[in-house]
Parts: sequence; C-alpha cells; structure tokens
Amino acid sequence: MNVVKTRKVLVVEDSRLIHKMYEVMLRPCMLIAAHDGREGLARLGENPDVDVIILDINMPHMTGLEFLGQVKAKPEFAAIPVIIVSTEGKEEDVARGLQAGAVAYLKKPFQREDLLKIIGRLAVVQPSP
Amino acid sequence: MAEGPRSYSSAGSGDPLATLMRARQLIHDAQAAIEEASKSVVQQRTASTEIPEHALRLAKAENEREELAVRLAEVEHQVGRLMTLYVATYQLHATLDPADVQSTIAEIAVNLLGAERFALLLRDEDESALEIRIQEGAIDSTWSGASTYPGGDPIIDASLLDGMLRFGPVDNSPVLVAVPLRVQDVTVGALVITKLFEHKGKLDEEDRDLLDLLGAHAASALFASRVYSRAARKLRTLEGLIKLVKQG
Repeated sequence: MNVVKTRKVLVVEDSRLIHKMYEVMLRPCMLIAAHDGREGLARLGENPDVDVIILDINMPHMTGLEFLGQVKAKPEFAAIPVIIVSTEGKEEDVARGLQAGAVAYLKKPFQREDLLKIIGRLAVVQPSP
Repeated sequence: MAEGPRSYSSAGSGDPLATLMRARQLIHDAQAAIEEASKSVVQQRTASTEIPEHALRLAKAENEREELAVRLAEVEHQVGRLMTLYVATYQLHATLDPADVQSTIAEIAVNLLGAERFALLLRDEDESALEIRIQEGAIDSTWSGASTYPGGDPIIDASLLDGMLRFGPVDNSPVLVAVPLRVQDVTVGALVITKLFEHKGKLDEEDRDLLDLLGAHAASALFASRVYSRAARKLRTLEGLIKLVKQG
C-alpha cells in the first residue's frame, strides 16, 4: 500500500465527521478544510497550489457540482484533479459528476483503501521507502 | 575437453620397452580423456539440478510475496475499519452540546452506515415518552406528524424492552435494524434504520461493529451532554439570581 506523501488536499465537505475521517486517513497530507462550495472557492483562492480536491455534493450555500463548475471555468484551477465523495450513488449522479470534470467518483460509505487507490492513481502518492 | 588421439611413433614390435612405454602413454591419455569426460558429466548434472532448484526457490519466493500482499491488504483493510470506529467514537465525544451529538449520530448513520431513511428516538427529560429527535425520510405511515414514537413496531419495541440490537425486516415492520442506546443498562433511546442507499446494498459484519459502538457510545455521549447542558442551565439561572440579589 502506498503512503500518502505530505501534499495539499482541499476538502470541501459539510460533515465534521467526514472531515475528521480524512484527517485520520490522509494523515501525512496537509488538509485545507471548507464546509461548503462557497468556502471551498475562498480556500482555493488562498491556496492555489493544492494537489487535489476532495468534494462532497450535497452542501449548503453552494453544492459540490456548482463548485466544480466554477473551478473548471477558471484556467488557473482547471487542472487540479477533483475527486467526488458523495452519498449520491445513482448512475446518473456519477455520470453528472464525471461530466462536470471530476476525475473519480467514490460513494459513501467508502473504504480507506479505495480512496488511497484513487489518490495513488493521481500520482499524489509515492511508494513508501 | 578431452584431447584428440595422439599419434605415436611406431616402435619396433620386438622392443618390449617401447611397447610398454606406448601402452603407458595410451593408458595415461585414456585416463585424461575419462577425467575430462567425467568432469563434463558432473558439470552437466550440477547444472541440470541447480536450474530446477533455483526455479523452485523463485516460485516459493513468489508465493510468499503473494501471501504477504494478501495479508498486507487485509491489515490495511482492518486499519481502515479501526480508523472508522475511532473517528465515530472521537466525534461522538467531541462535544457537550446535545444537538451536536444528535447531528453526529445522524452523520454516522448516513456517511458510515449508508442509511437513507432513519430515525433517532430519545426518552424525554421526564422519561415518559420516546421523542423522535431526528427523522430522515418517511419511516412509517403511523409516524407521520408524530413527535413521539407511537409504538407498535415489533423490532423497535423488542429492542427497547431488552436492549438488544435487532435486525429486520420482519412481518409488520419496515425496520432493517434497531440499535438500542444504553447507558448503565438503561435504554435511553434507539437509532432505527429502515432503508439503506441502493449502492450500500445491505448491512454486513463490519457494520455490526459500528452499530455496537453506536449503542454504547452514542448513549453515553448524549447522556453526558444532557447532564452538562442541564448543569450549565442551572448555573446560568443561579448566576442570574445572584446578580439580581446583588443589584437589589
């Protein structure tokens, strides 16, 4: 199993429980927390060097898909890979997320190893020494 | 390699010494040739036994590597499970606000158990009725508009009675699981799940650990937060009274 190297990950998620989960699961990473899409955009503006964005869909103020649309519309952020992690698990939900520009879609409840595999594919992780 | 046959000078047939010398030479050459040949045979034999031996060791190492990879994957999976349990416990006890504890229970139900329809029932302050504190989705037609659990569901009633985790569904009950919330052998409420997300499918053995954890920790976290908020309320009242007395 790969070990996540210390990288910047923006987590846009309204659940405190899931924020804590990412904090534990992605421990070597530097996590930047946002609790809705609007706050996510603000955090992204402050941290344009994030390596990956982990995004929920159902959030107050600005949904994950709205956030994703705005990120992809900005050339300076468009290349940042976005992983959607959501309870919305229907095929059309997945298709909508991927069409909007997400590189992967993970359904909650998720397994830690599945998340690490996806992040590994994005080359954010490197083999442990 | 054995040398080729040598040419020997023909000795006179009548010279026994020369014949003897020639015979010795022939014997010597033959011995050298045999020695060379046997060396070659030994080398061939060694090589032919070493190759399968190496192949065997390689296959064994490959098998061990595969076994270790499987074990590592199992360990990683267990680590993930433990992390989930740790985070659920941590988050339940991270606050002393009853509303936050209830939100955390709901977050666990949705995000970690995959519950689409569920309800949180809690005994009210005077412990007479079970209030429906959280309801996500329509649980049952008899529940519509009710603020307290109307009773009558066989799984919920049985769980509340004996404090045992119960799985459904059964006749006359849409309940998939009823998790009694217990503090010091007293059932103070229950988490009731009636529908899971389609992609979740069903509750499995790993979910059982989380349900057990909820039964114990959710109740104690709720109990602690209620006691704290009651104490804080009383303290505020007392402080107000003292302030009034001082002003008067």
